[in-house]
Amino acid sequence: MSEKQHILVVDDDPDLVESISMKLESKKFKVTKAYDGIEAWEKIKEDRPELIILDVMMPRKDGYETCKEIKNDDQYKDIIVVLLTAVGDAVSSTNYTHMDGKTTPADDFIPKPIDLDKLMEIVEDHL
Amino acid sequence: MIQNNELNNSFNYSVLVIDDEKRIREVTSKMLTQEGFEVAVAEDGNTGMKMIKEKHYDIILLDLMIPGISGLDVLPYIKENHPDSIVIVITGYATLEHSIKTMKSGAFDFIPKPFSPQDLRIVISKAIQFIQTLQDIANEKSRMGVLVNQLSGGVMATDFNKTIVLANPAFLKMIDYFGKDVTGCNVSEVIKHKEMKSMIDRALSMPPEVLSDLTEEINISENIVSVRCIPFRDRLKRNIGTITVIYDITTLKKMDQLKSDFVSMVAHEIRSPLNSIGMQLQVILDGLAGPATEKQQEILTRASEKIRSLSNLSTELLELASIESGLITQEKEKFDINHLLNEQVAFFQEAALAKNISLELDEPSKLPPIFANKSNIDEVLSNLISNSINYTPEGGDIKIFAVATKSYFHISVSDNGFGISNEDIERIFDRFYRVKNEKTRYITGTGLGLPIVKSIVEAHNGKIKVESELSKGSTFYVYLPYIET
Repeated sequence: MSEKQHILVVDDDPDLVESISMKLESKKFKVTKAYDGIEAWEKIKEDRPELIILDVMMPRKDGYETCKEIKNDDQYKDIIVVLLTAVGDAVSSTNYTHMDGKTTPADDFIPKPIDLDKLMEIVEDHL
Repeated sequence: MIQNNELNNSFNYSVLVIDDEKRIREVTSKMLTQEGFEVAVAEDGNTGMKMIKEKHYDIILLDLMIPGISGLDVLPYIKENHPDSIVIVITGYATLEHSIKTMKSGAFDFIPKPFSPQDLRIVISKAIQFIQTLQDIANEKSRMGVLVNQLSGGVMATDFNKTIVLANPAFLKMIDYFGKDVTGCNVSEVIKHKEMKSMIDRALSMPPEVLSDLTEEINISENIVSVRCIPFRDRLKRNIGTITVIYDITTLKKMDQLKSDFVSMVAHEIRSPLNSIGMQLQVILDGLAGPATEKQQEILTRASEKIRSLSNLSTELLELASIESGLITQEKEKFDINHLLNEQVAFFQEAALAKNISLELDEPSKLPPIFANKSNIDEVLSNLISNSINYTPEGGDIKIFAVATKSYFHISVSDNGFGISNEDIERIFDRFYRVKNEKTRYITGTGLGLPIVKSIVEAHNGKIKVESELSKGSTFYVYLPYIET
């Protein structure tokens, strides 16, 4: 690998973003951070990542919307999206449905509470 | 029962004797007075009619052959003015023809002349029995009426043709009906809610071997009412009508929702920061924030454990709230329970092995598919199995057994572990209750596992039972109704 692979971490809890980032950086990934869907889009356009770790529940623009927009955008739909889901949400291999019935396509899912080692496995599987 | 020679006259019934024969008037009146009746006499039809007009008599003894107006003409007059007076015809020529004629005109019975006091007693006692039955029915009806009208729950009864026989004010209020009296109306004229009408139809077509009440919750404008409908039957078990009982459960529902919302809000708000803290600890433990000393690592590991169990607690609180809000029963599917059992046993094999416990599934014959919420049943099994592993010492045995009968799935999880004392066994399904003694002190848990199991089983209309003996082991039995799909 000549160039570092780039991952965008999006969650409204800065502490959580920091922890995930530290772990990713220790695995030699390049990490950028965002704290809601709108910021996520800014970062994506600024510097396109290979993979996005995206929380579902966020202020301003939530993970469903952001994920849907990415997957419907011809320019960005190839970016791998890993959703951080909550307990009680139903997950199939390609779709994610929240308790309230909202559904969105994504490449992978990891339930909260997040096991950092498991998250690393998922990320490495996709890259 | 009233004996023939002993007249029950506690009510002081009044009797009028209309007969032209003085001897009969005297004898009857003497005898009946002795028995405690209030007796009056008339010697001809006109006098009799005059007396009947002025006063109500319970029993009238009427001779057919009397001077002036004949008994046959007095009879219709009595029936017109006092339909509930009992008329016993005295007839000198007890021909069949006469008897039929008088009975047709409304006589209750007849007594041929000459008659003995015993003959009279028999006829009178029959009449009293009849009056008392009528009185009982009237009393019962009035009592029922008051009772039903006073109920806070709504009650409606229909006959087989769905004609309303009875509907109390609470019922009409709850279905939002304001209008003319509904007695005698067809159900469809009064009830607008098709769910309720369909329940009545289903109750009426319920086969004789089944007797169950239909229960549904339906929305009526702003309110939620719980409706129960059940057919009632004659002695040959034919459906002859329905009873519908409704309760307004709006407030209950709202409170329940409020509670669930509150619990889930609290759980969410607690869980997110806990997860975040857990990850921060993990980052330090991984040495990503600089090296940590062995002692620091040890402390952080213990802190991580506590964080994890707190996070589990909030997860389970959320689950309990969602089970109690009734959400899960709406998401049932048909699935293979053999597969689920095998999967669970395979999953826990590792944990069992770590304690050198043998975990066996008594390979059941092929069970029919179950219709239930899959992730919930999964949860029931995993809770029971992990409990068994936790509460069984090294080298123990755990056996899981499953069988299906005509109406139930029976699943049992048995171990030869610590067992549960009699004091504890009553409380193990209580929320947050945990058995604490020297053997269980180091077993971690939230005290919500079994309450969740119980709520799930009950939400599926099933039952859970436990048998246990200290130091011998415990068996948990789960019964889930088999629903044909």
